[in-house]
Amino acid sequence: MLTLIAKLLRALNSETSPWALAMAVVLGMIMGLTPLWRVHNVIILLAALLFRINLTAFLLSFAVFSGLAYLFDPLFHDVGLAVLEAPSWQGIYQAIYQTAIGRLTQFYHTITMGSVICSLLFAPILAVVTYFIVVNYRRRIQAWFNKLRVVRAIQASRIWQIYTGLRG
Amino acid sequence: MQRSVIRWPGLMVFVGIIVLLTAFSWLFLDNLLRWGMERTLGRLNGAEVNIAKVEHHWVPLGLKVSGVQITDPAQPLQNRLVVGELEANIEADQLLLGRVVIDQMTAAGIRIAQPRQSEGEVYAPVSEQASDLAGAGWEQLNATLPSVEEIVAKVGLQTDTVVSEAKQKLEAQKTAFNEAKQALPSKEKIQQYQEKIKAITSGKISGAEDLAKRKQALDDLKAEIKQDKQAVKTFKEEVGNSKDLLQQQLAAVKNAPGNDIDRIKQFFNLDGSGLGNITGLLFGDQAQQWSQYVLLAYEQVAPMMARSGNDDSVKPVRGEGQWISFVDEDAKPEFLIKKAKTEIQLGATTVDVDWQNITHQHQLLGQPTTYQARADNNGLWDSFNLNGEIALTDMGFDSRQQWQLRGAQLQQLTLSQSDKLSAVISSARLNSDGDVNVRNSELGGSAGMRFSDMVMQADGSSQLTKTIAGALQKLERLDIRTKLSGNLTNPSLQLQSDLDQQLGQLMSGALSAQSEGKLADIKAKLSEQIAPVVGDYQGVLDTIGGSEETADNLDQQLEELLKAKVEDNLKDLLKGKLFGN
Repeated sequence: MLTLIAKLLRALNSETSPWALAMAVVLGMIMGLTPLWRVHNVIILLAALLFRINLTAFLLSFAVFSGLAYLFDPLFHDVGLAVLEAPSWQGIYQAIYQTAIGRLTQFYHTITMGSVICSLLFAPILAVVTYFIVVNYRRRIQAWFNKLRVVRAIQASRIWQIYTGLRG
Repeated sequence: MQRSVIRWPGLMVFVGIIVLLTAFSWLFLDNLLRWGMERTLGRLNGAEVNIAKVEHHWVPLGLKVSGVQITDPAQPLQNRLVVGELEANIEADQLLLGRVVIDQMTAAGIRIAQPRQSEGEVYAPVSEQASDLAGAGWEQLNATLPSVEEIVAKVGLQTDTVVSEAKQKLEAQKTAFNEAKQALPSKEKIQQYQEKIKAITSGKISGAEDLAKRKQALDDLKAEIKQDKQAVKTFKEEVGNSKDLLQQQLAAVKNAPGNDIDRIKQFFNLDGSGLGNITGLLFGDQAQQWSQYVLLAYEQVAPMMARSGNDDSVKPVRGEGQWISFVDEDAKPEFLIKKAKTEIQLGATTVDVDWQNITHQHQLLGQPTTYQARADNNGLWDSFNLNGEIALTDMGFDSRQQWQLRGAQLQQLTLSQSDKLSAVISSARLNSDGDVNVRNSELGGSAGMRFSDMVMQADGSSQLTKTIAGALQKLERLDIRTKLSGNLTNPSLQLQSDLDQQLGQLMSGALSAQSEGKLADIKAKLSEQIAPVVGDYQGVLDTIGGSEETADNLDQQLEELLKAKVEDNLKDLLKGKLFGN
């Protein structure tokens, strides 16, 4: 975990594209909030590995949002149930339900449906917010941040040694 | 240099991860399947399900499951069902579409109600079964056998009353008889009549005037005689009536002691209300155990079907979500076992059951689940047939089941081991048939159990149960009718039979035999009571008999007197006048 945080700090302080970091956080968020053993997560994993996004941010985001997911499961269930029970969509659901791909996606599971919808709706917001934070961190906070006594204390700690070790 | 957006080594890592996951799944598939089946079946069952081993094979796609233990939610220390080995072939193409369609399934070593090694976890507790038979025990059998004295006090002997009434009636009859007798003409009066007639009809008639006088005197006398004759007639009628009445009353008096003894004996004729439901007490537990066999299909399969078909009964686990089904009306069922063969172990006997179309979505299939069980000539019975069908509809369960059992040999079947009464059927032959149906999850139906060639061993600790035990040992045959009712998950069983009636008769005989001496004493006392009255009656009847003869004589004498005439003398007189004699 310490290694991951050190790597994240390194990424933040590096020349890694802010969008690459933002996309990593978004993909990690989707994978973290939705049930793990689903087909869509295989696609997310493929995207995370295939495209040049920051894997450290992806893994940290996945870990954090996996923990948060349990808090949101009742909300996801309610959203999923409402969407799956929407009368006007029943025909489409029935058609998808009859297909092997439809069954494979397990869209008919309330938490799966609810979490996918919620995470997709939240994805653009999280992407923009992450981008904003990264950019502003690098522009305004990084120099000020490095001067803080706390940060200096950290820099004297093991985490900083790992961080620098990675750098070296 | 601008780096490419695509990270090709990442693709290699992805492939590696997928290969690892696949290999992991492959290696641990059996355990994953076992875990999934235990979880799913456990939720459907409402209690813990344990599976010892699951093996899969790809060509043809199938599963072999061994050592299945399904905990009874009502008794967690007991398995409601144990399956030794189960093998099924699954249609692969349907599995890709999310449907579990099994062409052929065989299950062997099925046993019901087996003890568990450790208590099973219960997920959906069931309410305690409220049986009509439960709670009733020999200890609650409050009926006591009355002594002869108690019965005599309760009966209220009628001989006293009959004797008293007879005495009053006898006195009344005597009075009426005497009054009628007093109205009869005396011998002297008859003699006077004879003398008067002689005086009127004899002697020379001096003329027409004399003739007229004589005739008038005779007519007056005859009128008087006729009155007496009427009195005799009245007396004879009175005597006849009295005789009939007295004879009836005498018979009533003579019968009074016998009637009282009969009424005492009738009190020994114990009925069901006095004894309580002996059938229920004696056969209740056994009948419930047998009913488990009869209701096997319902009890084992129905709750699972009900849970699988009812979204309300399978509540989603918090945090696990809910699987929504979007099958349309023309779709195939999501779970279907086309054919199944199960070998159910009932004691030392194996019953083969053939199943068709096991599913919880009968409306999609358009057919019910059907089953046929048959086991002939197996040493325990001559023949056994059971068939039925189950369908889960929007309204609930809809099912029918019939069975016929012929020539079942029962040996050492314990019916009761209470402190109050122990009863064992040493040997008997049982025939049974019946039907059970379920409409909207409500049970209905009836069954008959006919025991014959019964040999019973029984013993009791109280006077009542000893008598019952004695009567039970004399039982040779018994018919029991059972009535099923109540909810599917909470059936009720009611038993009716001629046992109570038979016991009543047998116990009456036993009690009568025990009380024979006392009854003889009572009869002797009653006979003593009636003896004087009978004597009086007999005396009166003898007197009446004698009076009847007297009345007949009187009547005859009066009739003779009424024949007397004066016309002959008148003719003679007229001839003399006319022809000069």
